[in-house]
Amino acid sequence: MNMIGDIRYFDVRHVKGQTTHVDIDNGVIESAGTSFFSTAVIRVLGPSGWGILTIDNYAAPEGKKFESLLSSAASLAHITTEPVTLADAPHGVLAVPRMKEDPRSVSLEEKTAILGEIESSARLPGIVNTRATYIERAEQVSFTDSSANEYSFEICRSGFNIMAVASREGIVQMGYERLHSIHGLNIRHQQEMGRLAGERALSLIDAKSAAGGTMDAILDPELAGVFAHEAVGHASEGDLVHEGNSVLSGKIGERIGSDLITIVDDPSLHEFGFDPVDAEGVRVGRTKIIDRGIVGSYLHNRETLASVGQGDAGHARAMPGEPPLVRMSNTFIEEGDSALDEMFEGIHSGIILYGSRGGQVDPGRGVFQFNAEYGFIIEDGEQKGMVRDVSLSGEILSTLHSIEMCGKERKMSQGYCGKGGQSVPVSDGAPYIMLRNAVVGGNGTD
Amino acid sequence: MAPIETLPDDELPGLIDTIIRTGEALVEEVEVYITGGDSVSAELKKTKIGVATGSKSIGLGIRTIDHGRIGSSGTSDPAAWRKCLDAAVSSGTLSTIQEWGGLPGPSGKDLPLLSFDPEVRVEAGIAEKAIYEMLKGAAEFPVQVMSGSSDLSTGFLLLANSHDIRNSIKKSQVSVSLEAISDQSTGYEFDQSVTMAVDPEHVGRKAAFFANHGRSGKDIPTGDYSLVLSPMALAQLLGNVFVPAVNGRSVHAGRSKLAKSLGEEVAGSNISIFDDPFRKFGPGSTWWDAEGVPTRRVDIVKDGVLNEFLYDLKTGYRYGKPSTGSALRSGYGGLPGIGYHNLVFDGPRSDIWDELAIYVHDVVGAHTANPMSGDFSVEISNPSWIENGDFGNPIRKAMYAGNVFDLLKQIDGIAKGERVIGSMVLPEVRLTGQRIIGI
Repeated sequence: MNMIGDIRYFDVRHVKGQTTHVDIDNGVIESAGTSFFSTAVIRVLGPSGWGILTIDNYAAPEGKKFESLLSSAASLAHITTEPVTLADAPHGVLAVPRMKEDPRSVSLEEKTAILGEIESSARLPGIVNTRATYIERAEQVSFTDSSANEYSFEICRSGFNIMAVASREGIVQMGYERLHSIHGLNIRHQQEMGRLAGERALSLIDAKSAAGGTMDAILDPELAGVFAHEAVGHASEGDLVHEGNSVLSGKIGERIGSDLITIVDDPSLHEFGFDPVDAEGVRVGRTKIIDRGIVGSYLHNRETLASVGQGDAGHARAMPGEPPLVRMSNTFIEEGDSALDEMFEGIHSGIILYGSRGGQVDPGRGVFQFNAEYGFIIEDGEQKGMVRDVSLSGEILSTLHSIEMCGKERKMSQGYCGKGGQSVPVSDGAPYIMLRNAVVGGNGTD
Repeated sequence: MAPIETLPDDELPGLIDTIIRTGEALVEEVEVYITGGDSVSAELKKTKIGVATGSKSIGLGIRTIDHGRIGSSGTSDPAAWRKCLDAAVSSGTLSTIQEWGGLPGPSGKDLPLLSFDPEVRVEAGIAEKAIYEMLKGAAEFPVQVMSGSSDLSTGFLLLANSHDIRNSIKKSQVSVSLEAISDQSTGYEFDQSVTMAVDPEHVGRKAAFFANHGRSGKDIPTGDYSLVLSPMALAQLLGNVFVPAVNGRSVHAGRSKLAKSLGEEVAGSNISIFDDPFRKFGPGSTWWDAEGVPTRRVDIVKDGVLNEFLYDLKTGYRYGKPSTGSALRSGYGGLPGIGYHNLVFDGPRSDIWDELAIYVHDVVGAHTANPMSGDFSVEISNPSWIENGDFGNPIRKAMYAGNVFDLLKQIDGIAKGERVIGSMVLPEVRLTGQRIIGI
């Protein structure tokens, strides 16, 4: 393709698709429908940095019309001053795994009815509200760049959330379960998830607030996954490292944790954060962020691989119609060899924590926070009373040293991760892990 | 920005009439919502501009109502309106029949624009200039700039329905932000306005101040302390817990701790929290809401007493309450939801920096607060002592655990002045007896 003026590189990522949702609230079908979108991002590398256009309702013009878009992007690039270069990286697209049952082949009416079964199964005695939502998003992605790389693929993600609210004497608590997948319709035979949400809400009514302080903690696989994501994942993102906004900057090869700990990000895994190719056309694969306690690699796009190095490109991801950023995909702590019983035995006074409502990190300061849905006090190795609304905070450079045990079985959980105003599907996971002297936030007094 | 092809503006009114006429042959009522706009932004990577972005957005939303069944769909391609209309009608057949008293008609008023400044021009050069002003401010402290951005946008909304509503509104927004670091101390600041009245140099200076000030912070022991919450920190806690609890739908669905508290004291006796849709240059100011209902001031909390909840038409009809003009749309797809236009927090003002307290510039992890119970435990950004009316010694790390509903009753001072954070207008507040987890 012809280059215009001082354009060194360009690419176009066009995403078309449809989103289907169902919202059932206390047995009422509030909404069930489908919306459509078509949006594109055109990126041009000028003499210095990027000029980018994002365009809704993109018509994929050719010839002069396309050249005029490139010129518009190029003129934006003229205000940039940062000298951007792009590292070479291997291209290639993986196959998207075949879905067991394509959600689009099932009528919206049937999906609504199935979701209704999940929603009603959460309605246990004492539950005052149940709400189930189904979301299905099918994307047709096409990419082309000035180096004649071209690819296209289609992926459909779908899943559901179920929430139950219990209320008694002014105390209101919720139970929440979710399951999302790239492997096809996953709402059949999931009434158990509704019941679980209902039971959790009811039991939380009687749970106490945790007393804040420093204590030993066991994290379940879901929470330990969020821990890996917040405590280490974000700080390993090459754009933050480049900006000086990460305490992991300059730490490659340094030990920041015990050799029990290996943390990996892998967009090629067939989990919820799967991408067949990254948003710059680069082949995706496994990156070991922490290798047995030592900082191994950063996550990169082509730009940050060139400017920072010491890691792998293939981690550029984008929401439809948004410019790609360096992002995590499927992030996890590798299995160890401890049994859960051993973890309990090692704790005189502590806490075991389950589930998560997410977390956040200030990667430059090296401080993170994440939240558990519920937990139980541990006294002399025995599980005691239930606690609710427990957050943990920690410091990136010291926290991995406090991990004393890693369990044998890893489990992945699905979610969405926000950065730069964009939200992308991810999965996090880990085995059970045991932390010494974790900072636990709570306003309870005993 | 250079021309990009979308539907010419002068074709939109005709398109809207066609959609409504066609839809009325299928259902009782049709509502059409078109939103679009242009924006430009410049992004700093350290002290250099690395990215300049221009955007052109457009979206069409259609809502249909037929015998109490509500359907909706959206598309980014207005020319594909027929597919969108069919999807909306089909969606309506699945929804549960609900009490419905009709969409509103025109309010008959031709009112001035509240949330638009014609001086806002979407030009890369203006965004560029603001970036360099921020850098100038940041240079006053020995810190490294990590990132920053400068954004300008203008947009429009068109709302039309079967009852002859043909509303249109223009919006503008300007924002700047900067993030700096010194050792392991980070500082973030931003400013936003409907007009060009942002102060980039001040934003750069403030971010750099916090980054510089936070170096060599000392740990503090766990205990109960007095705090001063910045508007940014207050916005996060209110937005994640208080706002959903006064949403009429949550209230009636059993998802709000405040459901049975109307008429009760839910905040300090001098505190008022209200939605003011008529604020000149308020970011969310509007004369009518997202379904055409005329807006009004909603006194959610008046002198500490919970006074009213927020309703849209659907929730109002269902529970026998009038709409408070609180319907909002976050985009073109889906149904409107319930929200606020400009949420204002007010009360008697005083000097709250006179006494010893811990300053909370921002919080990390407010979205993990429990929206039902109001409990939260978050990490504090830029914790620092306030001493003798000024910033004193910085604190290295502190976690703040509390409950948003309790906190509203524990406010013992409201500072003079206020800031716009998103669509909230908030002052600094002082709290006593707040649990801090230190070492």
